[in-house]
Amino acid sequence: MSASVQRRPGESILSNPLVGRALGCLALSFVLALMIGKQEGTQQDFGLAFRQAVLGPRILWFLLIGVLVFVLLTFWPRVQPYLNRPGIRPLAVGGLTVVVAYALLKWTDSTAVSDGKFGTLSDAASQTGTLAPLARTFFTAPLPWVLFLVAFAVGAAAVVIRRAVLSWVGAAIAVLAGVWAWYSHSLVQSLLGSPDHSTGALVALLGFLTIAAACAATALSAEESANTRGFINGVFAWRPGMPLVGVALLLGLAGFAIATWFSPGNRNATLVDTASMFSTTGLSPLSKAYLGWLGYVLFALSLALAAYAAYRRDARLGWGAAGLGLVSLVLNLVALHDISAVGASTAYDGATGAWQNLGTGGWLACATFLLLAGAGYIVATAGSERGTIARTKADIAAGIGKIPGKSKALILFVLAGALFYPPMATPFWQKVLVSEIGIYVLLAIGLNVVVGWAGLLDLGFIAFYAIGSYTTAYFVGALPIQPPEWMRLSPLLCIPIAIIICLIAGVSLGAPTLRLRGDYLAIVTLGFGEIIRIVAVNNPGNFTNGPRGAFGIPQPEIHLGPIHIDWGQASLQYWYLLLVIVGLVILAFNRLEQSRLGRAWAAIREDEVAAQATGVNTTRVKLLAFAIGASTSGVAGVFFASQIGYINPDNFVLNNSILVVAYVVFGGMGSLPGAMAGAAVLTWLPEFLKDQVPAEDRQMWIGAVILLMMIFRPAGLIPAKRRAAELHGLDEPSSAETTAVAANEGMGATK
Amino acid sequence: MSAVIAEPTAPDTAQRDVVFDVRNITLRFGGVTSINDVSLQMYRDEILAVIGPNGAGKTSLFNSLTGVYTPQEGTITLAGRPGDAPRSVIGEKTHVINHMGVARTFQNIRLFPALTALENVKVGVETRMKAGPLSAMLGLPYQRREERESTERAYELLTLVGLRSRANELAGSLAYGEQRRLEIARALGTNPGVILLDEPAAGTNPAEKRDLADLIRLVNREHNISVLLIEHDMKLVMSVADRLVVLNFGSKIAEGLPEEIQKNPAVIAAYLGTSAEEAAGEVETQPELHTIADDTANMTSLDDAGATTQEETP
Ligand SMILES: Nc1ncnc2c1ncn2[C@@H]1O[C@H](COP(=O)(O)OP(=O)(O)OP(=O)(O)O)[C@@H](O)[C@H]1O
Ligand SMILES: [Mg+2]
Repeated sequence: MSASVQRRPGESILSNPLVGRALGCLALSFVLALMIGKQEGTQQDFGLAFRQAVLGPRILWFLLIGVLVFVLLTFWPRVQPYLNRPGIRPLAVGGLTVVVAYALLKWTDSTAVSDGKFGTLSDAASQTGTLAPLARTFFTAPLPWVLFLVAFAVGAAAVVIRRAVLSWVGAAIAVLAGVWAWYSHSLVQSLLGSPDHSTGALVALLGFLTIAAACAATALSAEESANTRGFINGVFAWRPGMPLVGVALLLGLAGFAIATWFSPGNRNATLVDTASMFSTTGLSPLSKAYLGWLGYVLFALSLALAAYAAYRRDARLGWGAAGLGLVSLVLNLVALHDISAVGASTAYDGATGAWQNLGTGGWLACATFLLLAGAGYIVATAGSERGTIARTKADIAAGIGKIPGKSKALILFVLAGALFYPPMATPFWQKVLVSEIGIYVLLAIGLNVVVGWAGLLDLGFIAFYAIGSYTTAYFVGALPIQPPEWMRLSPLLCIPIAIIICLIAGVSLGAPTLRLRGDYLAIVTLGFGEIIRIVAVNNPGNFTNGPRGAFGIPQPEIHLGPIHIDWGQASLQYWYLLLVIVGLVILAFNRLEQSRLGRAWAAIREDEVAAQATGVNTTRVKLLAFAIGASTSGVAGVFFASQIGYINPDNFVLNNSILVVAYVVFGGMGSLPGAMAGAAVLTWLPEFLKDQVPAEDRQMWIGAVILLMMIFRPAGLIPAKRRAAELHGLDEPSSAETTAVAANEGMGATK
Repeated sequence: MSAVIAEPTAPDTAQRDVVFDVRNITLRFGGVTSINDVSLQMYRDEILAVIGPNGAGKTSLFNSLTGVYTPQEGTITLAGRPGDAPRSVIGEKTHVINHMGVARTFQNIRLFPALTALENVKVGVETRMKAGPLSAMLGLPYQRREERESTERAYELLTLVGLRSRANELAGSLAYGEQRRLEIARALGTNPGVILLDEPAAGTNPAEKRDLADLIRLVNREHNISVLLIEHDMKLVMSVADRLVVLNFGSKIAEGLPEEIQKNPAVIAAYLGTSAEEAAGEVETQPELHTIADDTANMTSLDDAGATTQEETP
């Protein structure tokens, strides 16, 4: 490198590549310094934020980052082999996790600690005399950071030098630090004594454990370069179902032994406490037994059965484990219902009905039983899985073929989270889950059909959402123009109507725009979206009620014979309604993607002329894409309108359309899980950042995340298999012939 | 030039069933006339080859036959499958013409690279099926049956073209020759009465060319599919084609049996880029031009005989 650096006379110093790079890196650190901290001055002092950002001593930290980046870039060839060593990736992930836990996450929800973050909490805790000395020591100023840095540094050294001793020392320090942090936090928690949803301590523990795992990997792996994916595949392939059993074991231990089951009056009662608390009340004998001993027995039994079935790969035992897991899950839910109902019957702590004042423990137990049942199911069905299955160890390591049970296991993890995380979350997050994450996931699934599968860029997607909402508003009678009495519907019955109306709207947008491609189509659909919104504002024939919109849209309810379900104000119930809707849509769309229509969409997206020449009716196929996407959006509209109760044109601005496109692209165009993950992450992120950065900075941070993502994972979070191939195909030069002038567009050739 | 057009010599043509009846079509792009007053008949179950130097208008002819381009003048009628009544294809959409029994491949391979080989063929097979989106979403039994049938049919076709073992590879990752064969399988999937092959041997090696010739004959004789073939490789053309049509600068300059075309001075002239008289003289001095189809070491195609070669290589 130094040879090329020598400067010839007369050349400016700036043309030296190293100097340029160094300046670039320093500029980067400068920008980073500006990004972190307050972004605005005051009325008197406009430059305040700027000076705070760059003139204080803290700029040194950022310059250090810049120098580090510079060194890394310059000596990249020499650094790079180390970065492929086994253990380096988990080490990095673990380090990052701990930093996030220390710097960003809340460690308590108690109002006694102002912002609940680690720094504030540890300051307060180290001053508290009543806290046990062990915990107080942990929270004493630099110690937690020192612990982390030592663990991380020893881990890094172990990766570089590859000494087994060093690795084990690092692992021990990391485990010690993690457990210490967790334990100290739980002591603080019992001192504060308030119900708590904070994740900081748990995340820190997980981060430390990851670091420990990285150290262990360094010590145990004989290979020169890491194969993380191969390792993960190996874990899943060893015994299908076993990873689920492992996770279930951890969750179950946490749930049955540590976590809170019932927390009225700011008391945190574990399972044992809860059992004794309810021993004298009128709890049903079954639930009493469940709390007292049956729960533990069921946990131990189903865990053992699932593990044994997985180990023996025995399908019949697998079905047994699945059955036992489900029965236990039901018993567990019954017990949870009973204790909360008894609690509510005495109006304990303002409870008005069942399912209130429950802690995390019961839900963790639910997740445990679901995962164990799932593990049994995977064991039972692993043998009959179709498709190309990876058979040899080498195949598994190289990621060739399918790992039996892997996708099912991942789906079960997500399902367990979706079912049993929300009741543990704070009301704030429950609301976010429903009115942001859930709805936008549904919208992204719909748009993915149009943009991802059929390849038609639609920038007016939110219009169908609006149509769905206004349809609901009309049919429930919330608009100035009332429907005739016999046409009045309850919100859930509006879903089929909205689907039909959006199908029609989708086709009528699609039909005139079909000849357009790419950018032109995008502009026309954008216009369509604006037309719908402006029509809603202009209130033609007093139908939309103008800018004021519709209000008083009733909550959904179901009255079917003996079943009466009424969705009130609480977000949690809507979450489960949404989960049912999304689940059905996913099932249907997953089949659709694998059907002839799904393949036809891929065909027209890849090569329209070839698709036509193969007999694909491109007009029909495109219209179907528009219609199906639109009706999904319409369903989301119905849900939105009846959940929130009032709508107005401001809910349907262009910005929302663009956001949905961004979610789909971010997650991975054409991939159903990708689009969902994209929507979930990008709707979660702004809410998460609310606690972390000043409000004005939020968009900037989101932008930065999207930018990084597009640089490092251009195909999206979870890229579609079909799309990924396409992206790589773009490298090859396209050949001439009919591609030179697209079909049907040759000058004067047609029509 | 019209003086040298050889009349079709097959004696029984009058009675034979016509697949494509092309009459006086002219196709212009702005000032460029890529097909100039061309007429030709293609008969049921024959292998008809269209040859001509680069830019002669062969691909334009294919595009006109399949509705990708619409000629400004002339008529094209089609009786795709045996027993069909002749119908005009001018102004019909490409996919409609495909449903009338015309399948094709492309000169520059146009597969769906991100789909697997199997899925590529299934796209073709499934354009003849009925199940709609609703039955797919609900997984109705008849949709599942169709799905199974299309998979079986696709596997049969992949076996036919020798790609069964690559069924689950992405089409874009196949070798060049394999992609060409996959295109043929996809075209056959639409159950055609006539298949149009645009330079199927371009960029393939001699062994693959032999296999291809066998495949074309098999498709023609066993599956009773008429074949319209564009090809630059004269050995292949002469060995498989029943009849040839020669285009040059958008006009038809000759039509006839392979032996006749080989001796036709106008054809040789077109390939050598000289006038017919000069060509006749050259044939005297260079007897090997008589056997342009011979597989001599340095002359496997007429391109090598002097036509400018723009053929893409993989
Ligand atoms: N879409 C188009 N727009 C303008 N000109 C075109 C178009 N398609 C074909 N041409 C012109 O028509 C003429 C015939 O082209 P064509 O592709 O049919 O030749 P070809 O016989 O297939 O040649 P090759 O052997 O190179 O494939 C060429 O001059 C070409 O430039
Ligand atoms: Mg051509």
